Amino acid sequence: MSDQVTVCTPEELMAVIFSREVRDWETIGVGAASPIPAAGCILAEQLKAPHITLIILGSKEYYPFPAGSSELHFLAQRGELDLFFLSGVQMDRHGNINLHVLGDYKSPQMRLPGAYGSAMLYYMAHRVILFRTEHSRRTFVEKVDFVTAAGITPESVYREGGPTKVVTPKAVLSWDGKKGEWALDAVNPGSTVEDIQANTGFTLRLSPMVQMTPPPTEQELSVLRTVVRQKLERIYPEFARTKIRPD
Amino acid sequence: MYSMVQAGSMGLPFVAVRGLMGTDILKNRPDLKVIADPFHPMEKVVAAQPIRPDVAVFHALKADRFGNSITPGLRDDLMMARAARRAVVTAEELTDKELTMRDAPNDTFLPAIDVDVVVQVPWGAHPCSCGLLYGLDDAHLREYVQAAQEEKTFKNYLERYVAGVKNHQEYLQRVGVMNLLPAEKINV
Repeated sequence: MSDQVTVCTPEELMAVIFSREVRDWETIGVGAASPIPAAGCILAEQLKAPHITLIILGSKEYYPFPAGSSELHFLAQRGELDLFFLSGVQMDRHGNINLHVLGDYKSPQMRLPGAYGSAMLYYMAHRVILFRTEHSRRTFVEKVDFVTAAGITPESVYREGGPTKVVTPKAVLSWDGKKGEWALDAVNPGSTVEDIQANTGFTLRLSPMVQMTPPPTEQELSVLRTVVRQKLERIYPEFARTKIRPD
Repeated sequence: MYSMVQAGSMGLPFVAVRGLMGTDILKNRPDLKVIADPFHPMEKVVAAQPIRPDVAVFHALKADRFGNSITPGLRDDLMMARAARRAVVTAEELTDKELTMRDAPNDTFLPAIDVDVVVQVPWGAHPCSCGLLYGLDDAHLREYVQAAQEEKTFKNYLERYVAGVKNHQEYLQRVGVMNLLPAEKINV
């Protein structure tokens, strides 16, 4: 039985981890190009958090507003967004994320689409969870090439929230607000502390609570692969079909 | 960015925005400046210049002769149309019937007062989608992504689909868009 439940795709594992971070009654936003957080939040709604207000950009079912994506943006700016998910081409030790360029800003090796609201959402959502399917030394770096949104700001800056966790296929990192850096919080099934450190471009302290991530339960996987997969197919058809296995 | 467009739509001199502090965005954008919050002088905020584009272009499902237009889905088009000095609508269909908000229960309505120009352009969103009328042209998008990898192939792409066609009709023939949907759906 346990063999069967631990065999899942990295995307399924991450969706399950996201679902465990959701608290009932929260207002939760899922931005563009974020199928894994979308899957995780729908899973949480099905299993344990039936009263969440879920806003998924690109969805008709999970979109409670009369206008466009500015609605989510301004809701967050009012301080009414509890949880949001961000990613980056690079993320660094001090919680900075980069969505702009690789290399020098003026003559970059690669130019990316840019902040897309993250330079406000990272400050104004109460909790932000970062995610990346690639856990490597080129994604987790000592210092990002360009700070699109900052992990740390001085006291003179109004901030509702900020970084709380990073979720990858290998690990969960948690934010140490006092030290202003990430610590290893949980080791995912199939990974080890050594493997995670070897693939992270900065030294990771172990959080005092460090643990093994409990593998997805049979219930989590079966709901993910049925109800959630079906709902997700209306928003992210290609992702739902290829990354979430049919039950 | 939304705030800056909204400020443009409201005719404001500038707008205060949250976040952005400590980023490299501030180092590279002359239209964003850190100021002391005049009402809470201990706090620093970013003041942003409004965005007022010269022209904004929207693609609509339908438009009427007055400029009333319906764009697909729920969008921020009204804010953008107002921020722009001129708003141009290209539409799949021009109708003789005067359109109102009631014709767009699940879509976005742009009132004539905020629209300056209407042009009929069937398949005007290609290779992107247009509401329920037609979906993404995946094959064409893949061709574009492939071509955009290198300067030379990208130039060839532009020559074939942009510079080298006389008009929109010829573009449609070249991309083969008429083959995308069954014939009965073409005369929308």
